[in-house]
Amino acid sequence: MRLEKCWFCSSTIYPGHGIQFVRNDAKIFRFCRSKCHKNFKMKRNPRKVKWTKAYRRLHGKDMTQDSTFEFERKRNRPQRYDRINTEKVLQAIPKISKVKATREKDHITKRLSVGRVNRRTEDRRELEQSISLVKAPSVLKEDATLTLPKQKVTVSYAQTENTPMEE
Amino acid sequence: MAARFLSKSSSGSSLLGALGTSLVGVGSVARQTTSKLTYSDIFFQQQRTFVQMGTKLKVVDNSGAKRVMCIQALKSKKGAKLGDIIIGSVKEAQPRGKVKKGDVVYGVVVRAAMQRGRCDGSHVRFDDNAVVLVNKQGEPIGTRVFGPVPHELRKKKHVKILALAEHIA
Repeated sequence: MRLEKCWFCSSTIYPGHGIQFVRNDAKIFRFCRSKCHKNFKMKRNPRKVKWTKAYRRLHGKDMTQDSTFEFERKRNRPQRYDRINTEKVLQAIPKISKVKATREKDHITKRLSVGRVNRRTEDRRELEQSISLVKAPSVLKEDATLTLPKQKVTVSYAQTENTPMEE
Repeated sequence: MAARFLSKSSSGSSLLGALGTSLVGVGSVARQTTSKLTYSDIFFQQQRTFVQMGTKLKVVDNSGAKRVMCIQALKSKKGAKLGDIIIGSVKEAQPRGKVKKGDVVYGVVVRAAMQRGRCDGSHVRFDDNAVVLVNKQGEPIGTRVFGPVPHELRKKKHVKILALAEHIA
């Protein structure tokens, strides 16, 4: 049993799923589901179709180079069965996939963090500039609680009695 | 959605089998307006059915024939699939070959556009319909086979064809 990769979307094809298309030049195309198969028949290039792994890798959306990919590379040399080795490999597989998943997630978080920072600065700027649309500036001046908290002031009990109200 | 309905009707029913793909094609165009499939989608989602009477197949050995028209699919009322034997009439042949035009020959289907299920649950389909000419005993007439062949032939005991093949899919 061998877990193949879909030619179009690069997802794993489990046994019993998908269609294998053999072209006359003996090149075999495996598809995980009819969606990928139909896209192939429409002659779509997977590098241009947004939801495929090929597109995401090409456009830097997903991680491309990492040492965890080395473990999954196809090796054509047959290996003699070694019980200890097999046990070790079976124990290592979930660990490696966990590491790979966290690294991929970090890659995406890092890529999206720039946007998050930009959005926060823009929101802050909008709040400062357009707060007058929400409440009139004169009202804001009267009530201290309606102004934006510009700085945190640690207040001790002795001080609250002495500081006058803002007017 | 329309394509799924078509596949159910074409592979199961023997009524449609006799009429071939023509009726199915008409039905799909009629359904065009109801589903979101465009004309180009229907064009690319051709419904593939069995190799039956009238099917023209390519001959992929060096027996001399070029094209063969199926006149009978042995062992099935619906038609021949990948790995089955058919009786064909040679429609086009090379000038100096072992078979001539108009000969009635036996052939083994080595490539079929209709998908065939394998025992592990996967399906295989090829790009075209191709046949290798054999004699009544099942031995190939030619000495070479071109293109990929499926390993379904091993189960059907066409071992000689597998031996001659250049690539086994």
